[in-house]
Amino acid sequence: MGEPSKPLRAAVIGCGGIANEHLPFLAKSPLIELVGVCDTSRVTAMFAQQRFEVQGWFLNAEEMLAATRPDVVHVLTPPQSHRPLVSLCLNAGAHVVCEKPMTASASETAELLALARQQGKWLVESRNLLFNDIVLKIDRLLDDGTLGEVREIDLLLSLDLNAGPFGDLNLEGPGVQLPGGAVHDFLPHLAYLFLHFAGEAKLDNRVHGVLENRSGNSRVGYDHLDALVMAGSCRGRLRIASDLKPDMFRLVVRGTRAVAESDFYNPFLRIQRAVDSGKMAPFEQIRSGMSLARAGIGSLRDKVLQHGTYHGLPRMLEAIYQALRDGQDSPIAATDIAATAALVDRLIGLRSAQ
Amino acid sequence: MKVLITGASGFLGQAVVRAAAAAGFEVLALVRPTADVSRLAWPDNVEVLRGDLRQKGEWKSRINVDCVVHLAAAPSGDLATQFAGTVLATENLLEHLALKSLRRFVHISSFSVYDYSTRPNKGVLDEAAALEPKPEARDAYTITKMIQERLVVDTCDGAGVDCVIIRPGAIYGPGKDWGFGKAAEFRKCDLIFAPGAIFRLTYVDNCADAIVKAINSPISSARIFNIVDDDLPSTWAFHKACRRAGAPAGRAIPVPWLIVSGLGRIVRLLNRAAFRNRAKLPELLEFKRQQARWRPMRYSNKLAKTVLGWSPAIGFEEGIARTFGQKGSADGA
Repeated sequence: MGEPSKPLRAAVIGCGGIANEHLPFLAKSPLIELVGVCDTSRVTAMFAQQRFEVQGWFLNAEEMLAATRPDVVHVLTPPQSHRPLVSLCLNAGAHVVCEKPMTASASETAELLALARQQGKWLVESRNLLFNDIVLKIDRLLDDGTLGEVREIDLLLSLDLNAGPFGDLNLEGPGVQLPGGAVHDFLPHLAYLFLHFAGEAKLDNRVHGVLENRSGNSRVGYDHLDALVMAGSCRGRLRIASDLKPDMFRLVVRGTRAVAESDFYNPFLRIQRAVDSGKMAPFEQIRSGMSLARAGIGSLRDKVLQHGTYHGLPRMLEAIYQALRDGQDSPIAATDIAATAALVDRLIGLRSAQ
Repeated sequence: MKVLITGASGFLGQAVVRAAAAAGFEVLALVRPTADVSRLAWPDNVEVLRGDLRQKGEWKSRINVDCVVHLAAAPSGDLATQFAGTVLATENLLEHLALKSLRRFVHISSFSVYDYSTRPNKGVLDEAAALEPKPEARDAYTITKMIQERLVVDTCDGAGVDCVIIRPGAIYGPGKDWGFGKAAEFRKCDLIFAPGAIFRLTYVDNCADAIVKAINSPISSARIFNIVDDDLPSTWAFHKACRRAGAPAGRAIPVPWLIVSGLGRIVRLLNRAAFRNRAKLPELLEFKRQQARWRPMRYSNKLAKTVLGWSPAIGFEEGIARTFGQKGSADGA
């Protein structure tokens, strides 16, 4: 047997909300040595350092990179700061895992991907939902032919973007400093999920719909998206709504043989096959009802055990670090990141004048 | 003497502003930009400053004061929300204060910082009681209030600023009734956990009075003061008094502490054995949080009375009457 590989040295820039999802994995994974955390707030950096037993804390990213020489840096700051920080880390010779949205546009994403290529480093934009239980289950239904060929993908994120910090009128400036406002923060999820189930098909420029501000909240920017996207033989309806209740993140994948429906916030899986129609429909409804009851118990267990919407994130990080260690290809390819950014650009192009 | 009061439009903040203004201080009341202060009818010696401490806005150039009473905090939401509203807000405030010219920083902390898993000396929880050693095992409020208090103490000590820490008990008054002391309700019945345990209450105006006394009282070596009223009722008596005063309380069902804590211990064992402590449970079932809220203890306000010269002017019956409007609201309206 060969020597066990040395753990990869990881560091984090930005210790706010999303860092609480990255750091627990980084702190306990045997693949990783957590060498530094950095935040512009001293107390935030110190709290993260103590809580996750990190080797050092820093207020300045350049100083941290010089002092800790990390192999991988997680850029977890607000989106408008990603571009300079990602460049800084790549130029310092580190691989980068960046939270979404990585940049404000596809051209900026392309620039950063080119820089990563030039430096011989990985640049990975987070796509944690692809590693969630329900996506993995639907992937299996596609692989075993249950769903047939995918023809339609419906995604609906129903969440009041005005209620959280994005729309908090006590704070100054825009809630999200991106062209698509608060909606922009969630667009990569919708775009990569659509492209994943559509088979990363090349878009044929048919994106229709509206991106607008329905609430009148000046800070939120845009809070409503309703878009139709065509990709080869696939159609998609991508929606973000701030005026619906309850909160949900609904996913429906319709194929030539069956339909699969689920929800990221309160997971369940309903499968309606071609044979589940006519006289057989009541049996499918009974089966689905029982499945829904089981899902309810599962959701209760998930809530108690804190198996939340972010449960795919540690799996994604594990896949990235294992691939890095083993010299394999990144589980999230640069071409997929570029395709996601291109679709996000088109969705942003739907915006109404404010 | 000019006093900055943060969190001024909050439940306690409003009362502190009134009391500080009545005591003759020149008050600079920091309120959030969307706060409606027109209904508060503050006197002329109160200047309103609008700003949000979570951001380094215009407020930072206008806080040249002699004393700060820091009440601003985010008592609810997830850890990130409470961290921003409580810890980051405090860090921003401390960063922009002219500490060298500051005479005193009065920080409003909380009873949540104490350790309720061990019995304090003689069963009386006072300022010498141990602090919670594992705040992350309790809740986000405890985590953030403990970091906030440490941050204030370290910064003030580092700058040589006189620092007073006020730890109020459960503050009640018009608009805040602690659900009449119930732990849960079922149909028209209210479950009263640990009915015989003392409810560590302080009436909002009594608490505000203690805070204002802390602005310029000589404090010698003492710096931490617990604030609870004199005539503390049991949780059962509190519920009864609320109901008697016309509160829409249900029929009280007592659940003794032995049963509550027994259930908590069983759940803790199950959590350890089956889920390696990963299960996140409601307060009603989680032993550590049960202890913090319902464990029978006695409380002392002796230090605040002797050092600050404070005496809670409003007794329990009067406080309940004011809370439920039998004798008008606390501001005398």
